[in-house]
Amino acid sequence: MQFGIFSVSDVTPDPTTGRTPTEAERIKAMVRIALKAEEVGLDVFATGEHHNPPFVASSPTTMLGYIAAQTERLQLSTSTTLITTNDPVKIAEDFAMLQHLADGRVDVMMGRGNTGPVYPWFGYDIREGINLALEHYNLLHRLWREDVVDWQGKFRTPLQGFTATPRPLDGVPPFVWHGSIRSPEIAEQAAFYGDGFFHNNIFWPATHTRKLISLYRRRYEYYGHGKAEEAIVGLGGQVFMRKNSQDAVKEFRPYFDNAPVYGGGPSLEEFTRETPLTVGSPQEVIDRTLGFREMFGDYQRQLFLMDHAGLPLKTVLEQLDLLGEEVVPVLRKEFAAKKPDHVPDAPTHASLLAAKKAAGEGEQEEQE
Amino acid sequence: MSTRRIVTVSAGMSTPSSTRMLADRLTEATEKALSERGEQVQTRVVELRDVAHDIMNAMTTRVPTGELRGVLEDLGEADGIIAVTPVFNASYSGLFKSFFDIVEPDDLDGMPVLMGATGGSPRHSLVLEHALRPMFSYTRSTVVPTGVYAASEDWGSGENGGRELGQRIDRAGRQLAMLATERAPKGADPFEEPTPFADLMSGLGT
Repeated sequence: MQFGIFSVSDVTPDPTTGRTPTEAERIKAMVRIALKAEEVGLDVFATGEHHNPPFVASSPTTMLGYIAAQTERLQLSTSTTLITTNDPVKIAEDFAMLQHLADGRVDVMMGRGNTGPVYPWFGYDIREGINLALEHYNLLHRLWREDVVDWQGKFRTPLQGFTATPRPLDGVPPFVWHGSIRSPEIAEQAAFYGDGFFHNNIFWPATHTRKLISLYRRRYEYYGHGKAEEAIVGLGGQVFMRKNSQDAVKEFRPYFDNAPVYGGGPSLEEFTRETPLTVGSPQEVIDRTLGFREMFGDYQRQLFLMDHAGLPLKTVLEQLDLLGEEVVPVLRKEFAAKKPDHVPDAPTHASLLAAKKAAGEGEQEEQE
Repeated sequence: MSTRRIVTVSAGMSTPSSTRMLADRLTEATEKALSERGEQVQTRVVELRDVAHDIMNAMTTRVPTGELRGVLEDLGEADGIIAVTPVFNASYSGLFKSFFDIVEPDDLDGMPVLMGATGGSPRHSLVLEHALRPMFSYTRSTVVPTGVYAASEDWGSGENGGRELGQRIDRAGRQLAMLATERAPKGADPFEEPTPFADLMSGLGT
């Protein structure tokens, strides 16, 4: 089981001081947070991609490449890469390049993006969001697997005899997750390819999330990739911790009440009751996270949202200490003890390469 | 014989309110008409005031808190809806509109809807036609031909002692009962029966 953090890269004023970090400060803070994730023993850092203020992460592979150079173990990912408005050719090249630089410590999470005005900035239309995700990913999938591609589709200029360079490291494309909070089409897409499915698990009541994940699991089995319970599932989550639960609530409340995504809406208490948001002690976070397994089955990746809503860097780093020291070690042990042997871990470059070699040897034996 | 489920939504503010009175009478008339057609009936009357904060929570975060989730679930499974609002500033109330803004569009698609409105003056009676009916046309609901508007004078102080209001209520109830009985089953649940990948890719480059 992989544990990590994902960032949306928002530049938000700290409601307790009124101070807004500069873009430079926020970008460097994200890097510091990623390095800290490795220091405290987490497995994954994922950055969002946005092309509008108040977000800074418009160039994920630049940031991840910089982090790759300063880390040893950390898996670098995205949350999410806009498969709709990016050119699949550029995604193929950018992430293959990153794979080489990071010695394979790279996977990608595809997402559509739900901000209407962003689409025309890149020449597209949000009403075609699902179709863009389907066609673009289909092309990306081929670009990483076929050395020479002839292609013609609805949204992009045709390709004749095109080779995306560099080729994926060791001929193994980065593992792909598909992120969606409400679209059965995307669950179906992830299942068809045998890719991972990620639910951000933040705004939706668990019943909605479960519907989508069960659909993905059922269809994963239908398309012959393995049993439903062996499908590759990732979940988000959102926590704020202090040793003493009341301290966590007191400290986090102004950030919750003023956050662009919650402000003026439900109370902190209502939101923690109805969604996976957990504000309390490390033990409460452990209990809640173990509850996800009861709800959605054994899963492979848990990402927490930690740096948002104007929380100062110092606080975020303290949160990561608590996560790394008190929460994740317990979760690792508990999840491992409960997971049946046949349920796989999240694929990594190493595991995919080993599988490829094993398949190659199998073929050779057949030929002999 | 099957059970028909009717959910009544009342956006009245006071207790008791004339909006709720109209909602109750429309519910009774529909129940009676369904029984006469040999149907079992299950009704639920929802006062939007009771879930007003939850409606705003859902509006701001998409998370339906508290009782609202159950209300939305019942609404999605209903065979017919009775929707009654007071007239505020020449239209439906903001709470009424907010509630229907957060209902999943698919849940109202093809749904039989009986509209009702109340006001202090008969001069607002066309609110049903210029505000409510277009909204339910947008949601592709099947709107009952008879909408019922009740002004102060309809409750008994008028010339005929409220008899005409009673007739309109009965007619509207009979019409909703007919539509609710004949309602076609809902389309396939996309979470249970997803469009297969090959069909999703139809017309796209591969």
